[in-house]
Amino acid sequence: MAIGYELSDSSVVVVIGSGAGGGTVSNELAQKGIDVVCLEAGSRLALSDIVNNPGIMNERMGWLDKRLGAPTWLCKTVGGTTVRWSGITPRFQEHEFKPLTTYGKLDDTTAIDWPITLDELAPYYDMAEDRMGVSGTHGIPPSAETNEFKVLKAGGKKIGYKEITSTRAAINPAARDGRPGCRQIGFCWSGCAIGAKWSTLYSEIPKAEATGHFELRTQSMVVKINHDESGKVTGVVYADLNGVLHEQKARAICVAGNVVETTRLLHNSASSMFPDGLGNSSGHLGRNYMRHMTKSTTAIMPGAVNFHRGTRQSGLIFDEQYHRPERGFVGGYLIETSSGDPLGMAQSVGGWGESAADYLENYTNLASTWVSGEDPPQASNRITFHKTERDQYGLPVPILTYNFHPNSIAMHMHAAKMSKQLLESLGARAVTSTMAGGGGCHNMGVARMSAEPADGVTNRWGQCHDIANLFVSDGSVFASSAAANPTLTIVALAIRQADHIAERMSHKEL
Amino acid sequence: MIRGETSRRRFLVAVMAHSGLLASGMGAALLRAGSAWAQSSTGKAGELARMARLLFPHDGVADEVYAEVIDSILSDVANDASMTDTLKVAVTALNTAQAGDWVTASAGDQIAAMQAVENEAFFGAILGSVRVRFYTHPKVWEHIGYPGSSVEHGGYVDRGFDDIDWLPGDA
Repeated sequence: MAIGYELSDSSVVVVIGSGAGGGTVSNELAQKGIDVVCLEAGSRLALSDIVNNPGIMNERMGWLDKRLGAPTWLCKTVGGTTVRWSGITPRFQEHEFKPLTTYGKLDDTTAIDWPITLDELAPYYDMAEDRMGVSGTHGIPPSAETNEFKVLKAGGKKIGYKEITSTRAAINPAARDGRPGCRQIGFCWSGCAIGAKWSTLYSEIPKAEATGHFELRTQSMVVKINHDESGKVTGVVYADLNGVLHEQKARAICVAGNVVETTRLLHNSASSMFPDGLGNSSGHLGRNYMRHMTKSTTAIMPGAVNFHRGTRQSGLIFDEQYHRPERGFVGGYLIETSSGDPLGMAQSVGGWGESAADYLENYTNLASTWVSGEDPPQASNRITFHKTERDQYGLPVPILTYNFHPNSIAMHMHAAKMSKQLLESLGARAVTSTMAGGGGCHNMGVARMSAEPADGVTNRWGQCHDIANLFVSDGSVFASSAAANPTLTIVALAIRQADHIAERMSHKEL
Repeated sequence: MIRGETSRRRFLVAVMAHSGLLASGMGAALLRAGSAWAQSSTGKAGELARMARLLFPHDGVADEVYAEVIDSILSDVANDASMTDTLKVAVTALNTAQAGDWVTASAGDQIAAMQAVENEAFFGAILGSVRVRFYTHPKVWEHIGYPGSSVEHGGYVDRGFDDIDWLPGDA
């Protein structure tokens, strides 16, 4: 099972973070016989620690350290945000890897094409879907149609949508890969108490441990990456539970802390050789921060929906994902279901008085859609650090600056109109939309991959342009956001990166 | 694996952080705030409870529930002069906006007084705190038909997750 590597063992690959990116790259490397030390800032929950209570679970797994500016909704726990995510796993479309070519240069954006194509990633999407158990792929049946999915489907059909599916969820419809089938518990965002939803917490991490080539150190917060005079990284400094600092030597390092911590760690590791932070000769580190055009639309339906029964996101509509500039914006969006508990719905609809109470008085009749749309990269959307304020690790407090691009506002207006039509086609009343809902769940782009070193932080493998043995393994490497929920693409890229690392090692290049 | 027992206070920090309330600074103040003023002044607690009902008016929910929501806010807050001031400001502002005794005014006048101050920071702080406590209250859940935790009942796979019966056509 778990083994202990010496701090001085410089043959190990150190992976920072154990979520979708870090958990996956760890397991893929360990399966190939490569020794991995994974450092995770959070603690390790057992399934018995997962209860149907969002407040308690946020305390147990949420990232609650101080951050300023735009809020994120991330986790500090083994498994990272795969413990909290809702499991929706669409692929990117071909044109979404070529946003600059397809959309042209929008004002105030820093768009580039990805240095890889859908064709190159497709085999890894296949592997990712298999690892994660995505419904409707690899012989896995579609997800069961919940009440709220049936509302989405009926309304979607009424207004002419054709591509409506209850597939593309990494939640087991039936037992598979040592995990049980979904019991429609309805608290996916509090963590799946039975492990039916894919999470690296109980999938990749135990599998990696079983190889004998993997050690997970929990409550280990990495504060700095060290390098030598040649510019290669040599190890990481981390604080343990008691705040005691240790240095773990490394042959190569994979950073997967989600956008805020990935930026902070590379920024905080600045040296005389890398004065603007590791891997930041381009100046793009921390910039081009994308989080999707997201919006929630809620309405009171003419009959009971009881959307608290069953998975919180139970299907999606593809019809609006395409690039059709005649709609008044570039790129597209996905329409998905989204339920909430009473507090979540009260916060989502906002306000006070009779109209606010009316929604909650009709809680059993509520239905919601949630939209995820392409978010153009902007240099001004970025993560910076407070000049004087420090957190409990002595690290500068992150500041998240994020504003919607006019393209996202135009897309928002369209999505609001279509969501309203969909719900009203079934007799809904009191339709209300909010643009903020869900913002901060999807985080991308602060160390993007680029063909040209001047355009980004990493290359087509997520390997830093400036430092050959330093990799970024999370959504930070996204060159564009596309419309799709990002986790499947993070996992596909991490599997691909592990292949690359193993190949380079076999040629003694790492 | 988990450190200690989850305190109600940390729960509220978490929920309020999610709701964006902490960003205003007022949420944090609410959590730290003192209760001495309100506890020594039951009339003020009564005014705040009336305010809570007008924030989220549900006819089928008893006055006691709104009073419990306010009591829980007041009993959770530690001595904090700035929050005591916030609560005082709220009650004073309502009485000022009403040009008289707010708590005995008509519902319409009470609401108008609240609307007059709804963009003030103190109003947002109280609104957010009441919302968190009210819509997590078991009696409110019971009233609106939300059963809460389901895992101990085996989820809804055999209990109506797909029982919708009013949709048109072949849905």
